[in-house]
Amino acid sequence: MSHQLGSLVSEILNRHFGEIVQKVGDDLFSFGARPVAAIAKTTEIPRIKVVESLRTLLKYDLVTFEPSKNEVVADYKIVPDNILLLMRYPRYLLQIKSKHGSEAEMIVEEVLQRGCVTATNLLVTLARKYKDDREKNISIVSLKDMFISLATAGYLQQAAVAEVKEGEGGEVPTMVAVATIVPELDARTLVLAMNEGAEVTDNIYWKVNFDRFHQDFRDEIMIDAMTRRIDENAGELMRHLLMQVYLNTPPWAASSTPVPALQLKESARRGATERPLLAQFVDHYLRVMEENGCGFVRRSGDASGGQFVVQMQRAAKETVYALLEHTVNERLGSNAARIFRLIRDKKYIEEEDIRKHAMVPNKECKELTYKLMEHHFISVQPMRKAASGGGLVKAIYLYYINLHETAHTARELCYRACHNGLRRAAAARRAHARLLDKQRRVRSVVHSMRVREDPQQHIARVEETITPPERQLIQSVEKQLKQLSTAEIELDKALFILHWYFMYKDN
Amino acid sequence: MATVKEEDSITEKILAIAKKNPKGISDKDISAAFPELSPADRVTAINALLQQGSFDLYNQGGALIYRLKAASSKQAVKGADNEEKVVYNLIEEAENKGIWIRDIRRRSNLAMTQLNKVLKSLESKKLIKAVKCVNASKKKVYMLYNLEPDRSISGGAWYQDQEFESEFVDILNRQCLRFLQQRADKIKNNPRGPIFGRTQSYATAAEVQKYIADLGISKITLDVEDVITILNTLVYDGKAESSVYPDGSRVYRAIESLIPAPGLVQVPCGVCPLVYNCCPTGLVNPQDCSYMTEWLE
Ligand code: SF4
Repeated sequence: MSHQLGSLVSEILNRHFGEIVQKVGDDLFSFGARPVAAIAKTTEIPRIKVVESLRTLLKYDLVTFEPSKNEVVADYKIVPDNILLLMRYPRYLLQIKSKHGSEAEMIVEEVLQRGCVTATNLLVTLARKYKDDREKNISIVSLKDMFISLATAGYLQQAAVAEVKEGEGGEVPTMVAVATIVPELDARTLVLAMNEGAEVTDNIYWKVNFDRFHQDFRDEIMIDAMTRRIDENAGELMRHLLMQVYLNTPPWAASSTPVPALQLKESARRGATERPLLAQFVDHYLRVMEENGCGFVRRSGDASGGQFVVQMQRAAKETVYALLEHTVNERLGSNAARIFRLIRDKKYIEEEDIRKHAMVPNKECKELTYKLMEHHFISVQPMRKAASGGGLVKAIYLYYINLHETAHTARELCYRACHNGLRRAAAARRAHARLLDKQRRVRSVVHSMRVREDPQQHIARVEETITPPERQLIQSVEKQLKQLSTAEIELDKALFILHWYFMYKDN
Repeated sequence: MATVKEEDSITEKILAIAKKNPKGISDKDISAAFPELSPADRVTAINALLQQGSFDLYNQGGALIYRLKAASSKQAVKGADNEEKVVYNLIEEAENKGIWIRDIRRRSNLAMTQLNKVLKSLESKKLIKAVKCVNASKKKVYMLYNLEPDRSISGGAWYQDQEFESEFVDILNRQCLRFLQQRADKIKNNPRGPIFGRTQSYATAAEVQKYIADLGISKITLDVEDVITILNTLVYDGKAESSVYPDGSRVYRAIESLIPAPGLVQVPCGVCPLVYNCCPTGLVNPQDCSYMTEWLE
């Protein structure tokens, strides 16, 4: 775990939970697993505050714990990967909203906010919250149905339960994952609970299943890629394929179980009204995708009209290359990107040959090659030519791409960029804290006046306490913050691609 | 009378005519191909050529025919000493690939000073010439005067006086891409199916070559090989992919990257040259970085 990751994680914790949690996080990041007392000692934060912070972190699965050697106290360990996910929350919401509508969004948002929650509690809270909201017209029954379909689709899962092992004398429970069982929720009990606050015993806790969302993100990337490379019909076909793959293959397998072409034809026929061309030319599209689709899809057999395999690992690799090529292109220019791709194409290549194929002037070519090296985008392997005749041994240098290392470089770069963006946003917030605070207060006063239906004049007078220049400043700061958070989401998308690639161990 | 320089160019032209007609040429042929030449100049030129031993003279049906002597039979080094002959032969052997001075020395066993003298004298007689090699700017090779240097020496179409013409390459690169892009969309939603559409969006190197020739942007004629070199740069730019037809000819198609520009290159830090020196507590820091400020404007 790199230093860069550490500072990014620290910055994220600060943004979401404040300074104390940040300090606890920093401490855990630099010292690894350790008990409360040790944390309190190095951070010089009162023990009670440390415990509180850990509770927060535990709630969101940002730390884990396990019994320490003496089995009496727990060692806490930070999970940086989960902390990075905090940046992805807006994307989860957007995704679920576009797929399942705004009710689903509400449910997921609530679960994200609370970390983990029982179904009854969740639904009752939500229903109460929106009880008076006529526009949305939300009933607890429809919320319940949505909850069930989200659980069925795997976006929500049961949280792990704590178990104390009997007979070992330990007091530290272990978290045991449980298989999700879609619950039967009784609508009548829910309504009763909502209206009269009746006690419902429900001790099954739920949380968001990020992994399911990640599968969606991955699928989107692959569908988009096919759309860009071939056309929308190919993208659509990819979607059909991935739908089958979702059913027949473990989510992150390197390549899928074969899907028969017949099944694809069937689903294409069902969508024939929208995509008549696809329905008509499924076979052709499969062939073009196989030949021009960067190896995302491979024909694996001819039985029953052909069998097709989705090569996920290959797709991850290709996508990462695309990401790296963009990065090289923007950082070092298009000629450097050309050299980068050339080296990839030839696997191992001598400097002399780079120049010949890249058609870049001698000097520039050398310079760029060295720059690529300096930025760790490419690597070099010296080779000794077998001493030929004259005994003149000439070393030749072969350039190549170590994708794993290069992807690593890009990931570090992403961490840095994210960290800097967060820093910048925090600085902007701090610099204008007074003003932003004032605005917030004015807003809440105005809001409550509106609710009380105070005369417009009074409201205007309150609003005027923010002077025009102040308003302008606020606007520009808000715009900046918005831009920074958009950038953050975009950076997170890049991180996702890299994460996807690193998921396959044997790259 | 023509000056010495003009004389040279006249003899060269006559030689060129003779090369085209290996059966030999008559006075008439010369004046037909080269009408602005005065008879007097022609005679001087031909005499000079005969003296050099480039031509054989024949009498055919009453008319005089000049025929180019086969290069090897040319007594080019007439009146030269042995050293010159040896060196000349070595250079001749190397043909249009040329030979490096060190190799001449090794094979002729001449001392450096002597060899230099010999080479100078051959050069001044316009029997050989020194050509700079494109891929090693300091390296010179020698070859016979009337030879066109091999591609590996001259660099082919992309070099002018051993200088790489990167602008020319860039222009061609862009034009080729334009040509490919014009038909790239044919694959999309093609009513006759994607395989047909793909064929329509492919361009062979020969088609591209014709397009470039018709544009008239190149002073020299580019052959298909040259165009393939350029098309391959497009492939390395990630802007095209290539494929092989069953008949073995290469085809190209313009493509887009698999993903749009990623977030990393949309933020200043992703492209910032100072990114590795940037630190919240340092002189270069994100809080008041001016790249950021500019970007946030
Ligand atoms: S904050 Fe500014 S100086 Fe630092 S890496 Fe980003 S752009 Fe560069």
